[in-house]
Amino acid sequence: MTDNKLVSHSVRANLLVLGLLALVLGVVPGVLSFLGKSYYMQVANSALIYCVVAASMNLITGTAGLMCLGHAAFFGIGAYTAALLNTHFGLPFLLTLPLGGVAAGLAGVLVALPTMRLISIYFAVATLGVGEIVHVTLLNWVSLTRGPMGMQIYEPITIFGHQFTGLLSIYYVIAVLACVSIYLLWRMNHSYFGNALRSVREDDQCAEAMGISVVKLKIQAFAASTFFTGLAGAVLAHSAGYISPDSFQFSESILILTMVVVGGLGSLPGSILGALLLILLPEVARGLGDMRNVAVGVVMFLSILLLPKGIFGEVSAIEVARKLFNSAWDGRNAVGWK
Amino acid sequence: MDTYFLMQLINGLSVGMIYALIAIGFTLIFGVLNVVNFAHGEMYTIGAFAGLVCINMIHAPLAIIIVAALVAGGLSGIGLERIAFKPFRRFQDEASLKSRAMREATLLSSLAVSIIIKEVIQHFFGAEMQTIPGQYMLNNPIQVGPLSLSSGQFLILGSSILMLGGLQYVLYHTRIGLSIRAISNNPLGAKYVGLSVDKTIISTFAVGSMLGGAAGIMVGLYYGAIFPTMGFTPSIKAFVAMVMGGLSSIPGAVICSLILGVCESLATNYLTQGWSDMVAYSFLIVTLIFFPQGIFGSRRERV
Repeated sequence: MTDNKLVSHSVRANLLVLGLLALVLGVVPGVLSFLGKSYYMQVANSALIYCVVAASMNLITGTAGLMCLGHAAFFGIGAYTAALLNTHFGLPFLLTLPLGGVAAGLAGVLVALPTMRLISIYFAVATLGVGEIVHVTLLNWVSLTRGPMGMQIYEPITIFGHQFTGLLSIYYVIAVLACVSIYLLWRMNHSYFGNALRSVREDDQCAEAMGISVVKLKIQAFAASTFFTGLAGAVLAHSAGYISPDSFQFSESILILTMVVVGGLGSLPGSILGALLLILLPEVARGLGDMRNVAVGVVMFLSILLLPKGIFGEVSAIEVARKLFNSAWDGRNAVGWK
Repeated sequence: MDTYFLMQLINGLSVGMIYALIAIGFTLIFGVLNVVNFAHGEMYTIGAFAGLVCINMIHAPLAIIIVAALVAGGLSGIGLERIAFKPFRRFQDEASLKSRAMREATLLSSLAVSIIIKEVIQHFFGAEMQTIPGQYMLNNPIQVGPLSLSSGQFLILGSSILMLGGLQYVLYHTRIGLSIRAISNNPLGAKYVGLSVDKTIISTFAVGSMLGGAAGIMVGLYYGAIFPTMGFTPSIKAFVAMVMGGLSSIPGAVICSLILGVCESLATNYLTQGWSDMVAYSFLIVTLIFFPQGIFGSRRERV
């Protein structure tokens, strides 16, 4: 490969990243504030939050092949940790945000330690049980979580004394966080770590024989994934100002799973597309009234039937990663790509 | 013995029988296809709603309502198999029948179908609890010595024992049952001796969903609660019982369902209603950690 080509690759990669950043930070908020409807802004906020959740779930369900049916539990742990720390101890956003992530990550490790020996359906069932345990706890521990009444956070997002009260400024907080988390998840997905996870997914016994510590790797992946989910939960708690156990029940886990599946298991851009599709679809299909959740089910069913690889399948996602970032990986750091 | 304790025990047994009826459906389908049918809880809901429609339309007697629920459950089981499972069974060999891709695809497709069924029911009947005419409610008190039981408990216990007996007869004395057992034992071998895999899978879904539908209407009339999402909690608990029983063992599933039901109703002495759901989930986690093959499961290579 000539030097010339290397340059053009990196230029193209930079252009793509810049384009996406411009879209998220410039075009979308511009158009939304031009339209001037605060409701659209809220939809955009929740779409971004779900992008992070779907991308983080993709790391375990897609890349590592561990079907998780309780991901909303970690989302909820992050959200409730942030909300409790903020209302009871008055901690600022800058502290509750990482602490929400850390709490969810710790919970993830706790769940992962005993369940990582289980494979396929058994793991799915175990995470389903964990998800329900967390939901029941949130619902019934009324003295701490106020149960079904939910929790309210009155304090606006404050960073270094600056209060983010307008919807547009909250959007920017979420957008920056989403971009950073998705970038980190993308780098994890397309690194030696991600490739090791893929090998574990394809054949864990074989990976073990090749010298990969499967259980350790799975626990690391689970911790990373739940950390980002918790982060998204904390952002949700602060940006929405109200959380209730209903937002973290089984159906929510299924919604997140659907995002990843519709987008393409194992493909990070796919899961982001899936999240956007499933959050925006009910809004677009508002005319259908009650039937819009049916539309979600139908989209899920059709995508499994007609697009088993998803909208943006893993193979094409890896192709894109290879093409765009070849310059970084082609030379000295070619581990796992050749 | 304490009468209250005895009453809770009988209550637990009748709840456990309901779990058992649902768990049998899960177990039969898992045995034949090696997949988990996540839309099984919706068969329970459909049974309950079919019974309700019967009550409201023709004011039928109880026996006919239960038969209607059985039929509705069976038919929707067949429909479910055609829609959510058949399209993914593109190849007939054992490797792809029990492959991981097939398992995950059908798991997700049954989830999708269950969302659709739930939402459609909600669209037509509304999300709130349905009103059931008073004379159909199964909570007339019946005094047995010092115990005061209700007619619903007798109906649930009696008819589930009847259905379990019927299932035993079907599985061991009819051609359909024989082919279900043959295919869950060895699909390829069963195919070589001339059994139709497709037909057997359909009849498995029909049998399993019939039991689920009957369970639905009985619970609906006993507790007086019929609503679109009623299938979720019992089916998760039945699922727990199935995992505890070792995934493909019917006696195991029934025994574990009864244990679960009794433990739950005894736990209500010490816990409030909301927390008693935790019993099932903690059983699940404990089972998966300490007996991953299930308490009554046969030894398998890996879980």
